[in-house]
Amino acid sequence: MHEFLDAALHRPNLVAFVVLLLWGLYITVTHHNLVKKLIGLYLVQTSVIFFLVTTGAKQGATVPVILEGAAEFTADAYVNPLPQVLTLTAIVVQIATLGVSLGLVSRIYRRFGSLDEDLILDKLE
Amino acid sequence: MIEQLPALVFAVPLTTAICMPVAGHVRKSVCRPLALASASAMAVLSVASLWAVVSHGSVRYSFSGWAPPIGIEWLADPVAAVMAAGVSVLGVLCLLYGGAVGDRTHDRHPVPYYTMVLLLLAGLSGAVYAGDLFNIFVFLEVVSLSAYALVAVQGGRALVSAFRYLLMGTLGTAFYLLGVGYFYAATGALNIADLAQQVPGLLGSKAVMAGLIFMLVGLAIKMALMPLHGWLPDAYGDGPTAAVPLLAGLVTKVALLIWVRILFWVMAAGESQGTAGIFMLVSSLGMLASVAGACIALRQRNLKRMFAYGGISHIGLVMIGIGQANQTGLTGAVYYLLNDAVMQCALFVLAGLAVHRYGVRTLDDAGRAAIRSPWVMGTFVVAALGMVGLPPTGGFFGKLRILLAALEAGNPLAAGAVIVTTLVTLGYFARLLERLVRGGSAESEPERAKMPWTLRAAMAALAAAMLALGIWNDPILEALTTATGGLAI
Repeated sequence: MHEFLDAALHRPNLVAFVVLLLWGLYITVTHHNLVKKLIGLYLVQTSVIFFLVTTGAKQGATVPVILEGAAEFTADAYVNPLPQVLTLTAIVVQIATLGVSLGLVSRIYRRFGSLDEDLILDKLE
Repeated sequence: MIEQLPALVFAVPLTTAICMPVAGHVRKSVCRPLALASASAMAVLSVASLWAVVSHGSVRYSFSGWAPPIGIEWLADPVAAVMAAGVSVLGVLCLLYGGAVGDRTHDRHPVPYYTMVLLLLAGLSGAVYAGDLFNIFVFLEVVSLSAYALVAVQGGRALVSAFRYLLMGTLGTAFYLLGVGYFYAATGALNIADLAQQVPGLLGSKAVMAGLIFMLVGLAIKMALMPLHGWLPDAYGDGPTAAVPLLAGLVTKVALLIWVRILFWVMAAGESQGTAGIFMLVSSLGMLASVAGACIALRQRNLKRMFAYGGISHIGLVMIGIGQANQTGLTGAVYYLLNDAVMQCALFVLAGLAVHRYGVRTLDDAGRAAIRSPWVMGTFVVAALGMVGLPPTGGFFGKLRILLAALEAGNPLAAGAVIVTTLVTLGYFARLLERLVRGGSAESEPERAKMPWTLRAAMAALAAAMLALGIWNDPILEALTTATGGLAI
């Protein structure tokens, strides 16, 4: 247990990721309002993106652009750009998902006059 | 030219989908012919690509000439090529059928409907061909977003079903992306071929195992594996008749194919100690899904829901096949996957036809209606034979392979699950067939409009595909065995 805590405290980024992920899942599962469910979903996606970003972080490294006339190239001096590129793509995907889901929620609201899951299910019966 | 085919298969529907809103703005009536033409072109290209792959060997396509691992790679091996051909041909058949079945949804909103169908086809072909895990994620998301929108086009109840599908599906892709992140953190690679060199040596690593489990959870939601199948019956039951065959036939199958890719092309080590646990997990989940899915299908009164649970149980059968970790199981599973795509497509085509032409929604309706059309009944009998697993359909040979694989692996429980599933499936199809055959009397049959040729052609092609897959099972299975023979299982 002590070792586990020690390992966790040395990686605060992963702890933050786990908290965000679980928080998002909790909101998605427990709330009855469809928009709040979407907020939870958004938090889950954001936590995953946060995780991807932190895997690329490096202390004391700089932007991965090799300037002309720079001294010899050392990989340690630059951040790995790939996780950030992945993150950008993932953010675009997330925005698309959010757009579709908000469109869907607005159609549901116009059709059923409510955003409460229980009320909508009652009307469906 | 030949090596450009995979990219063209993807580019044709994508470009048409982007042009569709403009074309539809000028003239709404142009949407359907345009979509059909685009899907047909895609089908021709993908069949040509399949022919090229079979005769000249696999194609590794690097975008813009950047070699992997820096560039993005597509892998057109026989498995991907045959699946892409299946996707595009089924897409054409579903478009033919969707325009003629009498479902008015797409007449009211032709532009979004056809745009979404083409985007779905483009995304599916991309997910099949993609050679790295992150691109698979992107295409999976393209497929899912168009699938949510297609279900929601129906309006009413379908809106709520689509919202549930969206919640589950987005969680699924988020978990999949998380798994990809773990793999990247552990290996620094995303390309399937690169991962295949590194991952087998890292099986003891907790990060790789966690990544694999996250991917399994994410893809299990996408393929509607038993405990995570909740979204599927509602989405397929309430979705628009014209679009559901496409979704049922293709979306879950492509997710399953991606899982097969990860398990065999990336992990690529059936007999090693590290993966024995994961194969046992896959096999057990498959046993649960196949038996429970079939039993729930037996209890359904609504035809669409019955077929939906039938599809869930067949996903379980494929999982049993790949869970045996041997060559027989892998080829049998991939072959069965292909058959299942055609069978699910055919069943939902028939279910949609039953609703719109005969007003049949439930088993009791089926007993009252008099369906005398040889086209409908013939296709239904062939589809039922395939689902139950009787020769000469492909369903029989696929199921036989899976059964043999279970026996070969010394897993009598899995073999038992296959047999129980077959018997229960026989139960619900025999019941439905009995109602259909005895139902109604010839005199009470009302006059109906002549069935359009497009519907007849779609049904005939689906039935012919199911029979052809069975009759030529030997060369197909042999080709699949050669294609997967290089994997270390």
